[in-house]
Amino acid sequence: MSGSGPTPAQRLTLDRLADVLVPEGRNMPAASTVGVSEGLLDRFLDAAPALAEPLLSLLDEAPAEGLDAFVRHLASQRPGDFGVLSTTVVGAYYLSAEVRRLIGYPGQQPNPLSVASEPDYLDMLERVHERHPGYRECS
Amino acid sequence: MSAQPEAELAWVERWNPDPNVRQGLADYPLTGDADVRPVMYNGVGGGLVQWAAMWQTLLASDFRVRTLDGIADDWPIGWDDLADCYAQVARDMSVSGLGGDPALPEMDPYPNPPIPIGKIGQVAAEGMDRLGWHWWPGANAIASRRHGNLQACQRRGTCMIGCPENAKATPSLTHWPSVQAAGARLVTGARVTEIPVDERGRVRGAAYLDRDGVEHFQPAQVVMLAANAVGTARLLLLSASPRFPDGLANSSGLVGRRLMQHPYRTVTVVCEDPLDSWQGPWGQVIYSLEFAETHPDRDFVRGAKWMVMPHGGPMFAAAEYQEAHRHDGFEAVWGANFHRAADEVFGRAFTWGIQAEDLPEDDNRVTLDPTMCDSSGLPAAHVEYRVSENTRRMLDFNVARAVEAAEASGAVSTLVRDVWPTGIGHVLGTTRMGNDPQTSVVDRWCRAHDVPNLYVIDGGVFVTGGSANPTATIMANALRVTDHLIEARASQEIPA
Ligand SMILES: Cc1cc2nc3c(=O)[nH]c(=O)nc-3n(C[C@H](O)[C@H](O)[C@H](O)COP(=O)(O)OP(=O)(O)OC[C@H]3O[C@@H](n4cnc5c(N)ncnc54)[C@H](O)[C@@H]3O)c2cc1C
Ligand code: SF4
Repeated sequence: MSGSGPTPAQRLTLDRLADVLVPEGRNMPAASTVGVSEGLLDRFLDAAPALAEPLLSLLDEAPAEGLDAFVRHLASQRPGDFGVLSTTVVGAYYLSAEVRRLIGYPGQQPNPLSVASEPDYLDMLERVHERHPGYRECS
Repeated sequence: MSAQPEAELAWVERWNPDPNVRQGLADYPLTGDADVRPVMYNGVGGGLVQWAAMWQTLLASDFRVRTLDGIADDWPIGWDDLADCYAQVARDMSVSGLGGDPALPEMDPYPNPPIPIGKIGQVAAEGMDRLGWHWWPGANAIASRRHGNLQACQRRGTCMIGCPENAKATPSLTHWPSVQAAGARLVTGARVTEIPVDERGRVRGAAYLDRDGVEHFQPAQVVMLAANAVGTARLLLLSASPRFPDGLANSSGLVGRRLMQHPYRTVTVVCEDPLDSWQGPWGQVIYSLEFAETHPDRDFVRGAKWMVMPHGGPMFAAAEYQEAHRHDGFEAVWGANFHRAADEVFGRAFTWGIQAEDLPEDDNRVTLDPTMCDSSGLPAAHVEYRVSENTRRMLDFNVARAVEAAEASGAVSTLVRDVWPTGIGHVLGTTRMGNDPQTSVVDRWCRAHDVPNLYVIDGGVFVTGGSANPTATIMANALRVTDHLIEARASQEIPA
């Protein structure tokens, strides 16, 4: 991550903004409770360093009160800035091991495929052949 | 990064396919007002570093669009001219697939058996079967078993940010080892600035800057350009000289014109049951050519190819959900509704990608930007591109059919997206092939009409775009042209 990283005040603001976007759901924790403004944010910014500067200036700009209205204003009037905020929050949220466990996502794990057995779609392909007129001749 | 939890984040920046976002060392800016902005990967390997490896030949009819449909132009070559080369490049690229598709001319078998279509392919195929529509297991340049320098695919699904298993065909595995062993020298970090000519109008080689901005000149008897339909057009225009004031090889005025990109829409099919659809490969699981040909009852000519793909991890599922609901307001996707994407879409959906054959139009074009430059001070590529009425109708029609296919597959809902504002990496047509020097840039052997020792071997030479993913044809054509160049070398003109 570039520079000195987010300050505690900026992290706190991010938590509050993040919960407007990703509040607690039926079985799902709110963004702030899984630490989107802590280690997950650092990991996110390592992966997307160019977003650090626009994100931090957005956090500095956020008002002390009325964060809900601020986020909605960004969404409707400033799509670029809203994209920076929402991509950060969603990206950091789904890095959380707890969130991944809850939605049943193991990550992009290896899972060898097997081509040994005959595929079971061959009867469907036979029907493709039966009904297809053949390719368009053009010579 | 592709083997780490951060895999999905790679898209945000470093592996974003849009060079304006990624801003890598070898990238140049793309400016202009385009309905679809091209995407590409610049660096050794080009787009084949990042591609999805979907392997598709053109249709036989794609070479005869003027004759069959009375629009656009015919190619100066036909499917049969490429047949042997299609087979050879499929072997070179360790393609996995199943031959025998009745929508295509007969071909040699692929070197590897098809990748299993998995749960998403099965559900999609059953829908097509119910409707009586064409579908076929996808061919991909991804090894289903060890082959050549490739390992067997492990279904990680990170194909477009680099395959950590070396299972996806990419030139650093499939070509560079043998090419370098045969003595070729690869100069990395070289940015070609100009293709200069001698007093007789033959090209002399390439002028380039190295990473430190130091100028070099590489002499050559023959120059073959493969910088893609944007980069090659840019380089030819950059190479204007007193002898070629409008750009090299541009007496027809067509260099940069007729850009085609396969405008793209998607229908994401959300199912009741879990489909584990974050698993790869992110090639094409199955495809359909049901609506790829012109039909007299439709209000457009030519057609589109469809292909089924997985939809990635939860971040992608959320992005897909947000994009499909972009006109429904904040509440629809954020706050209390945020988790719906993970609940309803993640792991339970697959995507029908629909790529349209856009016809060549002179005003869809690449020029040099008058003010913006790349990091070496060379003009950026300025791209103007409009999605035509024919293409919009074609996409509307195909999207409506894909929603029917989704319903036949038992979908609980669909997420429909409008034309993607960034392209899918298919850039074609800006240096078209043809017999007439007044209406084409290169001849049937892809040699510039104006310059006898200059060749173009990328997708710029496409006369029309078809609806197939273009790489199989770009590679087969490059092989055809190179074989001919070698055969005819005794008569090849070279600089003094
Ligand atoms: C995200 C993505 C997914 C894709 N998926 C598929 C797919 O599934 N199936 C398919 O068929 N196709 C796919 N494509 C398209 C495929 O990548 C291209 O068809 C293919 O790469 C074209 O090869 P090329 O060599 O003609 O051009 P490119 O691969 O674009 O290579 C051009 C090269 O020229 C270099 N260059 C440009 N200008 C200069 C200069 N001035 N000096 C020096 N070097 C220069 C670039 O750095 C680059 O290395 C995809 C593309 C992208 C971006
Ligand atoms: S799905 Fe296969 S090809 Fe794609 S990244 Fe994984 S191992 Fe590589």
